[in-house]
Amino acid sequence: MSEVKDVINQEENQQKPDQNYWRSFAELHNDPAFVASTHNEFQPGVTDDFNPSGLSKVSRRKFLALVGASAALAGVGCADYRDKGEIIPYTKMPEDTIVGKPKYYASTFNSGSQSYGILIKTREGRPIKVDGNPDHPVTKGKVSAAGQASVLNLYDPDRLKNPLKKAKSGEFLKSTWQQVDTEIVNALNSLAGKNITIVTGSILSPTTKKVLDDFAAKYNGTKIYSYELFNEELRNSAWKKCYGTDSFPLIRWNKAKVIVALESDFLGTEGNKTENSILFTEGRNIHDTKNFNRLYVVEGNMSLTGMNADYRLKLRPDAQYDFVMSLIKEVSVRTGTNVPADLSGFSLDNFVKKFSLNRKKLQYLVNDLINNRGKAIVYAGRTLSEQTHIAVNLLNEILGNTNLYRTDSASFSNLPLSTQSEWESLVSDMNAGKVGIVIHFDSDPVFHLPADLGYSNALRKVPVIVSLTESANDSSSAGHYTLPINHTFEAWGDAKTRTGFYSLQQPVIAPIYNTREKEAVLLNWIGGAKSQFKDTLYHEYLMKNWETNIYPSLKSKLNFNEFWYGALEKGVVLVDETPESLGKFNDSALNDLSGPSQKLSGYAVVLRESYSLGDGRYANNGWLQELPHPVSKITWDNYAAISQKTAKSLGVDNNDKIEISIGKRKLEIPVFIQPGCADDTITIELGYGRSVVGAVGEGTGFNANVLMSKTFDLAPWLYTTISVKKGNGSYKLVSSQEHHVFDHSLTNNLLGERHIIKEGTLKEYLKNPQFIAEENAEEHVEQIYPPHKQWYNGVKWAMAIDLNKCVGCGECVVACVSENNIPVVGKDQVEVGRDMQWLRIDTYYSGSEDDPTVSTQPMLCQHCDNAPCENVCPVAATTHSKDGLNQMVYNRCVGTRYCLNNCPYKVRRFNFFNFRDHFRDGFQQSDLFDLVYNPEVTVRSRGVMEKCSFCIQRIAEERADAIRENRNVIGSNVHTACQDACSTSAIHFGDMNDKESEFYKYRNHELGYYVLDQLNVKPNVTYLAKLRNTHSEEA
Amino acid sequence: MKKSYLDYVLRVRVPITIFVILASFTLTYFASRAERDGVGYTPVQPINFSHKLHAGQMKIDCQYCHTGVEKSRHAMVPAVSTCMNCHTIARKDRPEIKKLTLYYERGIALPWKRVHRVPDFVYFNHSVHVDAGIDCSSCHGDVRNMDRIGQMNSFTMGACLDCHRNAHEKLPYLKNIKNGPDDCWACHR
Repeated sequence: MSEVKDVINQEENQQKPDQNYWRSFAELHNDPAFVASTHNEFQPGVTDDFNPSGLSKVSRRKFLALVGASAALAGVGCADYRDKGEIIPYTKMPEDTIVGKPKYYASTFNSGSQSYGILIKTREGRPIKVDGNPDHPVTKGKVSAAGQASVLNLYDPDRLKNPLKKAKSGEFLKSTWQQVDTEIVNALNSLAGKNITIVTGSILSPTTKKVLDDFAAKYNGTKIYSYELFNEELRNSAWKKCYGTDSFPLIRWNKAKVIVALESDFLGTEGNKTENSILFTEGRNIHDTKNFNRLYVVEGNMSLTGMNADYRLKLRPDAQYDFVMSLIKEVSVRTGTNVPADLSGFSLDNFVKKFSLNRKKLQYLVNDLINNRGKAIVYAGRTLSEQTHIAVNLLNEILGNTNLYRTDSASFSNLPLSTQSEWESLVSDMNAGKVGIVIHFDSDPVFHLPADLGYSNALRKVPVIVSLTESANDSSSAGHYTLPINHTFEAWGDAKTRTGFYSLQQPVIAPIYNTREKEAVLLNWIGGAKSQFKDTLYHEYLMKNWETNIYPSLKSKLNFNEFWYGALEKGVVLVDETPESLGKFNDSALNDLSGPSQKLSGYAVVLRESYSLGDGRYANNGWLQELPHPVSKITWDNYAAISQKTAKSLGVDNNDKIEISIGKRKLEIPVFIQPGCADDTITIELGYGRSVVGAVGEGTGFNANVLMSKTFDLAPWLYTTISVKKGNGSYKLVSSQEHHVFDHSLTNNLLGERHIIKEGTLKEYLKNPQFIAEENAEEHVEQIYPPHKQWYNGVKWAMAIDLNKCVGCGECVVACVSENNIPVVGKDQVEVGRDMQWLRIDTYYSGSEDDPTVSTQPMLCQHCDNAPCENVCPVAATTHSKDGLNQMVYNRCVGTRYCLNNCPYKVRRFNFFNFRDHFRDGFQQSDLFDLVYNPEVTVRSRGVMEKCSFCIQRIAEERADAIRENRNVIGSNVHTACQDACSTSAIHFGDMNDKESEFYKYRNHELGYYVLDQLNVKPNVTYLAKLRNTHSEEA
Repeated sequence: MKKSYLDYVLRVRVPITIFVILASFTLTYFASRAERDGVGYTPVQPINFSHKLHAGQMKIDCQYCHTGVEKSRHAMVPAVSTCMNCHTIARKDRPEIKKLTLYYERGIALPWKRVHRVPDFVYFNHSVHVDAGIDCSSCHGDVRNMDRIGQMNSFTMGACLDCHRNAHEKLPYLKNIKNGPDDCWACHR
């Protein structure tokens, strides 16, 4: 491959090419419609709802007369016009309550097979926000977007309020716990030899496992089945074949110098992504540029991980096996290692030719793997076949990368997932009438299990079906009894997902509805017909279990009660445990490796977990539905991501539907042409298209679970024997990608070509640390404000966003929505560009159309010193404060929207409606919804402008604390909501005049730049340019 | 040219009418200013509680009941249980105390009439004012001598800013007081 090296040298000598950033193909090709749309801050048709003929027929004069008359009447009629309402104090004050001060409770949030330590912020007894628990050893004070949004599920008006029983008519009617308990216990006791089946998701709680065991001990013939739509079974079975132990070890991402992710989205959806991104970005520390890691991603569709790659190669997923085997061959040849597997037939050269991969990038990859033996990791995605996982294990073994497997901690499973054959025998038992009762234990198998397993048909043969669930789902509607269970925030619990510690879950609010903890429901049935239900049933059981089974092994010096309350406060209990050793590589595993794959042509379908909705359990959560997809920015729907070439060959464009058939299984779904997608690869996210869901999730997306089959050749999420054709009609997908676009051509006219985002390479930075700063030194436009430097002598608030750490996940967006009472507007409003999120993550593509590089840049109000919004407001509703904040006063705002028009960053949001009222017949106007609002932030009404406030309520809290403690305001005491939520700590906030602070280093770092610096608006948000760790100075 | 009746109306009647209307409006506007701001508002309360008795004669500290005032935005109207700290023993036979006991025992919400109020979009913070050493009476008047609590000062934005901008004049008893902030986001957010 010496020719390759020549190519590298040649290109290194060339000058750095000017990068062209683009957001969509329309922008790249200067689509006239797109260019025209950037000149206006709102999309055309945005005022079409205003229809004068539809207005009231009452004339203005008459209206004024009526208003005058009613005002006069009101004046006369209301004798006590000074009445100011009432103040109603507590009758009995709860201990330690100070009205207006939040309380935090440590708890646990479980999602699928992952568990996150959380702190729940409550105000006057109601949970309003979720943050991470810093004491949690895995997630270290951070939590996923779903975890933050779970507080909205608590107040979801679509939650079940009472036990329901199906009537003869097929309708579910309200029932009582007493009635359903009696009937179900009777049914449990009169089974006459038939079985009881409990279907559950992953069981993360050891105490829940014990409840299930107790239930099985009480009622003979109980069998427990568990499933997870997305699981690590193939990875684990491959591991077992290779090393003989049960589960794949955890990875020391922070110690890896080179990471090769094969079809793996470990920063987005795989494993504990919060932990993964914390560890991964330890290798992206700008104060430690010597230890930057390098990320190679080889994948079929552009994923969150792919966006962060230093080198990205596109490859159809079914070719990954051949790719890994070819890599092994190349490595063994280059290093002279003898590999005990049959590698004949594999050749990296041929592979590169066949898939026209970039030779240069691949050569870098091989060199890096060989040169960083023991410091590199190859990680395969869970959607790949078992064979691929075995090959990857082998590759890591021969490279000596096994010391990046963690030995201090390992995954822990309370209950293994049921196997394929167990499910098949369950279905045949159900069909044969051997199952008397099916209990869906907070699970939705009808939606999740592959249709050809025949589970939902077999359910019809079961006489009693009970579903324990928070809100109605496909499985509960197929049953007889639907029993409402408590939300996590209303329930006790514990969790163990790793060796070495337990985490605890405590309720922070009494059940809002007539619901029970799911474990308590079972415990009550274990008690039999005469059992008297108590609210504390499961709480006592949990404490008892801890006291007898867990506490003694801890050898604590405290008595149990002291220990227990201490543990609850901390949220986690550390235990001394050593995971089993990894074992030796077993060469017999290599017998499973086959020769080169024959096919590798035609279409391939990959099914992946949705970034926001998980497996569909959060489908009724508006915050998550409206969170733009981290890559495509599409909201409210899933889609089939395909490449431009594939779209051409299918004859479809964006939004056109395609029909995918795998045998008899068919799906029609709209396409989205995703830059960076491998040809002939169709990627669809699951979790959408639930048929039984609440008002929010109704009609969103397409159910792609129907493509899954119990028989698969590669993986349950990867199918290759399929046919695809153009479908009927189209479906409008709504993306915020082209919303709030900077008016590029206008700035061009003023100051010539100027990029909005700046980045470089690590090499470039090491050679010349000032390379970004030198670019900054440009001509500025003359400022129209008088210099007001003398204002900012005290605290001046500012932000620095480190783009080396930002992975573009969008967790900050959810945190902002939750903290600042931002409404959900719905798909129809997002379509016309009225999304209200104060913080957005801009995604820019650059490089070739075919194989682009992606850059992300969070964008929020820049709090400019020379704010252009302020001087156009006719009513001075937006002004500047002495500590450098651009203030927005809702009460003054009359809604001219001049400020938004004049904002170069397009970060202001206008309330076109009272969105709380506007969304699906006032769904969010329900009384319950009001409880989620942060009482420190005004709930904005129709007709006013709003924008990021740098979390002024948190600044105000620090000011109050400073006065109370008789000290100066300390910048680092204030954390904005986005900063707290950012799992990679990319966001820094503080006082830019505090020279001693950590923040000062970021604010004044040589990599810092301002967006649109030349406009001389003097922003208070600094971006630290992303450094790609490439081999040459060019990107 | 002969002077017509219309001429008289336009020259005399109309200006006089307009003047009278304006003058009476202006007079009423300024004369009733305090009244409209709620100064002097002393509503009848569900329980005839006397600050004069408790805070004045018996010299109970304001913070015995208004516990939030140094720590929180809200001064807090005390829970009924706070009253019962004493009144389970003291003056159990008085009719007002009997009423109070009833509220407590039956757990009925006690609907005190609100006297001081700033609008919802104002995030007034008691603790920052009290912790800066400002006496309760600077805003609330001489509560220790009020049998029935009433509003003594205006609680408008003008009144707030008046003090924030002239702290030395308004609060002569605080030697080192600095002017309060007058940024919009100091109170509105």
